[in-house]
Amino acid sequence: MLSKLFEGLYLKVFVNIVVFRSKSVVYIELCNKNRVIKSVEDTFDTTTINAKMYNFIHTYVNESPYFYISILDTSLAQGAVATCKSREIVDFFDVSSSKHLCYADRWTYYTSSIDLHTLQKVYGRIGLDFVFSPFVLLARFFKDKIDTHMSMYLLIEESFISLSVFDHSELLFSEHLDLNHAKDKDDLSMDDDSMQDFDLESSVNLDDINIEDDADIGELDDFGDIEDLDSFDDMDDFSDIKEEDEEDYIKDDNEYSGNDSEGFNEDYQRFSLIKSSVNRFYKDDKFQSKFIESVFIADGVGVSSDLKRYLEDEMFLNVFVRRIDLPSEVCALAKAELE
Amino acid sequence: MKYSYTKARKKSIITPELQLLFIFFGITLCMLLLTYAFLLFKEYRFAQDKAEIYQERENLSISQSSMNTQITFIEKEALLSERIYTQNIVLKDSIANLFDLVPQRITLSEASLLENGLILHGITPNEDVYNFMLQAPLRSIFHKSYSSFYPDKNGWLRFVSTNYIEDDGLSTYNDADAKQNKNIEETSNED
Repeated sequence: MLSKLFEGLYLKVFVNIVVFRSKSVVYIELCNKNRVIKSVEDTFDTTTINAKMYNFIHTYVNESPYFYISILDTSLAQGAVATCKSREIVDFFDVSSSKHLCYADRWTYYTSSIDLHTLQKVYGRIGLDFVFSPFVLLARFFKDKIDTHMSMYLLIEESFISLSVFDHSELLFSEHLDLNHAKDKDDLSMDDDSMQDFDLESSVNLDDINIEDDADIGELDDFGDIEDLDSFDDMDDFSDIKEEDEEDYIKDDNEYSGNDSEGFNEDYQRFSLIKSSVNRFYKDDKFQSKFIESVFIADGVGVSSDLKRYLEDEMFLNVFVRRIDLPSEVCALAKAELE
Repeated sequence: MKYSYTKARKKSIITPELQLLFIFFGITLCMLLLTYAFLLFKEYRFAQDKAEIYQERENLSISQSSMNTQITFIEKEALLSERIYTQNIVLKDSIANLFDLVPQRITLSEASLLENGLILHGITPNEDVYNFMLQAPLRSIFHKSYSSFYPDKNGWLRFVSTNYIEDDGLSTYNDADAKQNKNIEETSNED
């Protein structure tokens, strides 16, 4: 009772940390009840915590005893499974070395206990109150779509992709993909069975084409204009199921066109990982396989339009991209956790 | 709904510095309260002791007055006993002197000491012996002396001597002594 009174008198400080590949973004919100008094964001060149970041957080944390430090889980050994039954989840991950929680009595998300402990140790100077799974973030972010669609949902971070397939709130498949580790086995993924299954390369294998006359080359030139193929006007033909509000996300894609040259390789890596993962979903008997027609992307880094194009062209998916501000979503999650 | 893998740490408005301050003031307040409680206890004990001392003093006062009464009574008794002892000594001396007066030839059969007189009964061989040897000293002592004789079986005379001292202020007997009469019977006076 008394603590509730004090809680009402003091400001609540939400410190939200999102770790990217080589930097950390700290987003701080100072709230009075449900009103945001102040919000600040800063980026630090560390993936853990340095003196500058500590001082920055400490300055705001000192303003109120009611401060909550949240972080988005970066563990490689995390994921989600389509059941909450303890008898069934053992088939998917090692329960003894993992921490798992049930989401709305429908599906379970988990992470490595060791990684969780390491995370708490790394941020021991400031301490951590909440560690959130990207799958929970994704589920909340696309709650409106998950409840009504059968789609694939992606949360794209700089180094990770959280992939999940939901059929009207029911989780069918999920996987946490690590972009950094995927680089090492890039070649393997290219030669993977999945590639053969889709056999998309073979359809445009230029080496097999016998260039004999100019007429053929002329015909190929017509197809070589990829920009024309990828123009939004053309894509409208395939997007009958698109809703009006979702079109806004596609228009936003133009914002990412500036990153094209920089993000090309990464986007292809992302695409490869997604493709492999989808292939596992289709092939593995453990998962209830359903045909994926659309994908909703929560873009946390600003991917280029290439990824969208790859997904549309090569996997024939309807792609909807929605920009996500990861730190502020983590903050929203922290607030929801407290309620 | 719970989303986080970890629970939020317990939040408290009391910072470590504030906690130290509270502990310091707490200890100080505690010590003050303890001192106050100790003083209250001592005051209570002091009041209790004071009441006990007052009660004791009261009792002692009562006891003292009782003892004073007793002392007065004992002093009176001591005085009385001393006086009686003195009187007894005087009486003893008087009796001794009386018997010293009686000559060997006269035998006393009864002697009665009165308040202001002496009555002697006895046997004398003859009247002269009595008159010269006993009557004379008796007369020197008493103001009035009367003697009467009657013959005994063996030819001797039985006598009754009645002697009085006139009450002219020379008497040493007081009221208590006046009430005391002693009869001294003597079967024979061989001495």
